[in-house]
Amino acid sequence: MRFNVNTEIALTYLSSRKKQTLVAAMGVTFGISMFIFLQSLMKGTNDYFEKSSFSSIPHIRIYNDNKVADFHLLNGYFKDSSVKILDNPKQLQQYQGLINPYGLVKEISKQPDVVAVTPQVTVNAFYNSGSVQLNGIVNGVDILAEDRMFDLTGYMLQGEVRNLLKVDNGIIIGKGIADKLSLHMYDNISITSATGGSKVMRIVGIYATTIKQIDETKSYVNISQAQSLLGKDRSYVTDIKVNIKEYNNAPSRARDLEAITGYKAEDWVQSNAQLKAAFKIRAVILNSVIGVILLVAGFGIYNILNMTIYEKIKEIAILKATGFPGKAVTSIFLQQAIYIGLLGAFTGIIIGFFITLMVSRIYIGAGSLKYLPMSFYIPHYIEAVTFGVLTTIAAGYFPARKAAKVDPVIIIRG
Amino acid sequence: MENIALKSIGINKYFSDSVKFQALKNISFEISKGEFVSIMGKSGCGKSTLLYILSTMDTDYEGKLEINGIEVTGKTQNELAYIRNSTIGFVFQFHYLLPDFTCLKNVMIPALKLGKYSYDEVESKAYEKLKMLGVEEQALKQASKLSGGQQQRIAIARALINDPAIIMGDEPTGNLDSKNTSIVFDILQNLSKEFGQTIVTVTHDDDFAHRSDRIIQMADGEITTGHH
Repeated sequence: MRFNVNTEIALTYLSSRKKQTLVAAMGVTFGISMFIFLQSLMKGTNDYFEKSSFSSIPHIRIYNDNKVADFHLLNGYFKDSSVKILDNPKQLQQYQGLINPYGLVKEISKQPDVVAVTPQVTVNAFYNSGSVQLNGIVNGVDILAEDRMFDLTGYMLQGEVRNLLKVDNGIIIGKGIADKLSLHMYDNISITSATGGSKVMRIVGIYATTIKQIDETKSYVNISQAQSLLGKDRSYVTDIKVNIKEYNNAPSRARDLEAITGYKAEDWVQSNAQLKAAFKIRAVILNSVIGVILLVAGFGIYNILNMTIYEKIKEIAILKATGFPGKAVTSIFLQQAIYIGLLGAFTGIIIGFFITLMVSRIYIGAGSLKYLPMSFYIPHYIEAVTFGVLTTIAAGYFPARKAAKVDPVIIIRG
Repeated sequence: MENIALKSIGINKYFSDSVKFQALKNISFEISKGEFVSIMGKSGCGKSTLLYILSTMDTDYEGKLEINGIEVTGKTQNELAYIRNSTIGFVFQFHYLLPDFTCLKNVMIPALKLGKYSYDEVESKAYEKLKMLGVEEQALKQASKLSGGQQQRIAIARALINDPAIIMGDEPTGNLDSKNTSIVFDILQNLSKEFGQTIVTVTHDDDFAHRSDRIIQMADGEITTGHH
C-alpha cells in the first residue's frame, strides 16, 4: 500500500521511536478504558436504580385527587362576572374511587405506547397478630398484572405470586411485617382497615425488596378482598397504574391520560424528583472524572509531540527547504497525534471491555443486588473513541502548528 | 532574457537584532542558465544571506528577485514552497538527511511531495540519481550509517531528484576532505555542462571557486567583482 508522502513520514517517525509512541498511546488507552469502565458502571447503576425504583412505582398513576372548594357554583348562581372570594375553602367530600374504572382501563390500554395497565384498591390498614398492631398499606391488585409490571416474582422469598389466585383470602406480606409480627407461611393475620372493616387473611407468600420501609408496610391481596375490607362494591377502584414503553416520556404521556380520563395522572418524575436528581448528579461526577482523565492523556500527547518537534527541528527545516509548505508539516505532526489516538483508542476499548467484564463479576451481595451492575452498551464505546481521538487532535494541533512555523533559514544557518 | 536563470534587482537586507545593520547593499546581478557560479567573500560579508534570499526561503528583504524570468518577490509561502520543490535543489554544508529514513527514501521524498511521477517512477529515478553519484549500493541503508562523503552525495541526489533548473550550495564541500571535494565538484560541473543546470554555490574554497565559470566576490554586503 502506498501512502501519501506526509502520511509516510508521520508513520516513519512513529515507528522509529516505538517506545515514545507506546507511552503516548498508553495515556489514551488509560483514558479511554476508564471512560468505558465508568460509563458502564454508571449506566449499570442507573439502570439498576431505575429498575428497582420501577419495581414499586408505576410510570404513571391515575387517581382521584382531592379537590378544594372553588367558586364555580357561585358563578352559576349569580350569573355575572363579578370577582368572588371564597374565604377559607374546604376539601370537598367526595367519592374516593374512580368512576367506571374498568371502562377506563380498557380505554387506556388502547392508547399507543401503553404496555401494562392494572387497577388497584389501596387500603390503609392495621396488621394484627396477638396483641401487636402494625400500621401499613394493603394493596388490592390483579396479582398477575402486578407481577408483569413490577416483577414481584423476583422478590419472593417464600411462596409464589400465583398462590393468591388459589387462596381467595390469601395475602402476600413483606419480610419486615413477618419479622415484626413473628409470622410464617400459612399463618393467619388479621387486617383492620381505617374505616373499621376487618378480615382474617392467610399468608401465602413473603417478599423482600431492598427498601426496608416497603417490606415493613406493604402487602398484596386480591382486589375483591380489598374492596370488601373497605365495605365497597366490586367497581370500587382507587388507582390505575400504567406502564409505558419509554419511561422518560412519562410526563407528556401523563398529560395525555389526564385529558382522556379526567382524573389526576401523576408521572414518576413528579413523585420521585430525587431519583431524577440522583441521575443528574452522578452524570456530573462521572463527566468531570472522565474530563480530567482525557485532559491528562491529552497533555501526555502534547508533551511528547512537543519534544519530538524540538528534536526534529532540523529535519522540519530541511523538509521546508525542499518544498514542504507549512500545512504539509502540520499534517505530518497532526497525523502522528491521530495515529497515537487511534492506537490508544483501539487498545482502550479492548481493555475497557475487559475491566468492565471483571468488575461485573465482583460480588456485592447487598439486598437483591448480587453483583456490581455494569452495562455493556455499544454507544459508550463509540463515544469513547470519538472523545479520545478528538482529544488527541486537540493536543496535537498546537505542536503541529508550531512545527509549521519553523523558519528554515534560522535553523539551517544555525 | 529567456536565458536568465536568476536575476536580482537592487536587493537590500537589514538585520535589526539590537542595532539596525545593513547586511546586503543594493545587490543586482544576473546568472545565465547553465552557468556555474561561485560566491566568495570573508565571513560576515553577506554571501550566505544572499544565497538564502535567492533560495526564496528568506523573504524579508527589499528589492526584486526573478527566477527563470518570473518575479518571486511577494509570493505566498505556499507558492514559494512549490517553487523550491520544483525548480530549486539544495546542498548544504551539512547533509541534513532524515536519519529515520533510508537513503533511497531521503532522495525520493521531495519527488513524492511534488507528485509529478508515480511512486515506482520516483523510485527508479532516485536509483538513477544515486547511481550517477556512485552511491547506489548505499540506497537501502539508514542515512545515519554512511560516511560524510557518501552522505553529501546522497544529499546531492536529493537536490537533483526533481531535475531542478537551479542547484544552490551553501559550502557544499565545506565539510569534506580534498578527495571528496573534488568528486562533488566534478558532479556539479558535469550537471552544469551536460544537463544545463544552473549552479550557485557559496564557498570558502579557492580551488573550488576558481574551477567554476564565474566568481562573484563580495565584501561588506556589496558585490565587488563578477557582476557580469
